[in-house]
Amino acid sequence: MPIKQKSWLEKLRAVFASFAFRFMLRYVVGLSAAVLLVMVSLYATYSYQYFVDHERIIDDQLRDLSLRIERGENLEQVRLLPPPPVRGENYFLLLDAGGNKIAGNLDVWPKNLYQNWWDLKSSTFFTGEELPALTWMFGKSEMLADGRKLLVVRDYGDILMIERYISHVAVRSALLTILLGALGGIFMAMRSIRNVDHINQSIARIISGNLSERIPAAELRGDFKVLAMHFNQLLDRVQGLMEGMRQVTDNIAHDLRTPLTRMRNQIADLMQAAPAPVCDQVPVLLNEADALLSTFNALLRIAQIESGQRRSGFRQTDLQVILADLIELYEPLAMEKRQSMVAQINEPLLVAGDRDLLFQAFANLIDNAIKYTPPEGSIRLSAHREPDGSARVELCDSGEGIPEEDRCKVFRRFYRVEASRSAQPGNGLGLSLVAAVVRLHHAEIMLADGAPGLLVTVRLPTCRG
Amino acid sequence: MHILLIEDDVSVADFIVRGLRENQIEVDHVADGLAALAASRKGKFDALIVDRMLPGMDGLSVIRTLRELGDKTPALILSALGEVDDRVQGLRAGGDDYLVKPFDFTELLARIEAVLRRQQAGAHQTRLKVADLEMDLLAHRVTRAGEELTLQPREYKLLEYLMRHAGQVVTRTMLLENVWDYHFDPQTNVIDVHISRLRQKIDRGFGAPLLTTVRGSGYMLLDQPTAAE
Repeated sequence: MPIKQKSWLEKLRAVFASFAFRFMLRYVVGLSAAVLLVMVSLYATYSYQYFVDHERIIDDQLRDLSLRIERGENLEQVRLLPPPPVRGENYFLLLDAGGNKIAGNLDVWPKNLYQNWWDLKSSTFFTGEELPALTWMFGKSEMLADGRKLLVVRDYGDILMIERYISHVAVRSALLTILLGALGGIFMAMRSIRNVDHINQSIARIISGNLSERIPAAELRGDFKVLAMHFNQLLDRVQGLMEGMRQVTDNIAHDLRTPLTRMRNQIADLMQAAPAPVCDQVPVLLNEADALLSTFNALLRIAQIESGQRRSGFRQTDLQVILADLIELYEPLAMEKRQSMVAQINEPLLVAGDRDLLFQAFANLIDNAIKYTPPEGSIRLSAHREPDGSARVELCDSGEGIPEEDRCKVFRRFYRVEASRSAQPGNGLGLSLVAAVVRLHHAEIMLADGAPGLLVTVRLPTCRG
Repeated sequence: MHILLIEDDVSVADFIVRGLRENQIEVDHVADGLAALAASRKGKFDALIVDRMLPGMDGLSVIRTLRELGDKTPALILSALGEVDDRVQGLRAGGDDYLVKPFDFTELLARIEAVLRRQQAGAHQTRLKVADLEMDLLAHRVTRAGEELTLQPREYKLLEYLMRHAGQVVTRTMLLENVWDYHFDPQTNVIDVHISRLRQKIDRGFGAPLLTTVRGSGYMLLDQPTAAE
């Protein structure tokens, strides 16, 4: 089968479908997920711990402040400074029973007062960029004697900004890792695909044509190199087997044909030497022997063709010439049966092939057409180029045709359709040879109802002139 | 006629030798390539029959060597193989004809005679004459007993080949190869019909027939018209 060149889209799809790419992608995604998980847990732990530390500071400050208030100290100069390395002041507010400010560096009781870490985080995580000052307050309050309320809070906005920044960095790193991993995966996949493609194309070439070719393993590395070397060894083995088979075929030819020929020639001698009454029967014997030899020859030819060796003899051949010669050869025979034989081959049709084999194959088909069409029948041969560039040869006769159930079987060796078995001479190998030649030429053959008769269609790939 | 047969298979050699001798042809037999070279240098042979598969030096090498030494004895190659490439190879090595086993003995005989005739025939013949049948190769005219015959191009080619091998048996395969230029096995008697058409044109109404069928072998254009085959 000829190897198609891939379009860019197909190449890209191949990359994404390749094992190498998918493996890389899964690995990168998995790794990124793990890294992300680690980062998230680190982040959460850090954030929570920081919060807890602040909570403790606020508790201390609250207690301290309330003690001072009990003692009746002046709160004007009080500043709540957390211990280093924590920076930034904390705020406090003392309200009387009516809600008015008595003392403190905060003016208003905050609208949102968060008391635990989860509430704080969950509310802030999905808000916008801005975290205005004095909005995200976290602190504790205490009810004093005589209805006063004391509050100690921290503006957590700064910290939330920092934490948010860190989380963005983490996410972006993960995405970047995935992207780099994917790109790396694509790159590695393309290299891997190139290697595999290289091997695949070599294999396709070898299988469809020259079995003596080998995959060049020197340029490959690692597993691919081993794969290619093993495949080459397999090919050595196959070639050896085919060579062995060929030798067997040739030996059969050498060993069996000789005694057959001797027998046949002895019969011919007998015909010369024998007296008249015997002489009448000897020609029949001679014909039988010749038929036997001819069958034997045909079988061997088919075997040779099927083993593909004759491809080395392929040349550029013009079907127009071959078919025209065939018509000219068979016309007198058709005329004897008063059959009309019409040919319509308008243009040269160049194919890569074996001239004699193609002639033989089409000769067998025309022969059958004449044989199985009654006198006064018609035979029509046409050949033209199809839109896809291939050559299409059609042979239609008005004879008895082949029943549908037999159409796939007639190409088997020695198969003869029931009706014709007794009516016409033949060894059942004609179409087997045609099938072998068709296959050798990378062509296809189809049988259909000629309404009436048989329509044989052969399609061959053409070569550029 | 003196022929050298180079064949290692004893039974095939025996049958060829016997057949040739029965046809009054002298034949010497060797079984390998080196003996063949030695023999052909010593003796003077009219033709060689060389089997391709020989022990030691193979048949084509024998022919190639002979050709290199200037020996132009016509050689008929016998082989069990029959691929186109093999034939081309054989002819290119210096062989004059290629025959695939198994063959009719008469086929072998016919081809030997043809190969010899090719050797003897002049290259620049302008006219062929067999009995009262004449063919002018330049003018492309055929006459018998002075009367012009109208022939189709293929019939002309067919007659030309028969005339060049007049008096010899010409087999169907030889005709297919030389007149139609294809090497193939006809399933039916497709050649016979062409011959009978030709026979109609050249023999009918002319007295003794020249174009005869040789039972079990092929056809022959008689040198002189006789009643017997």
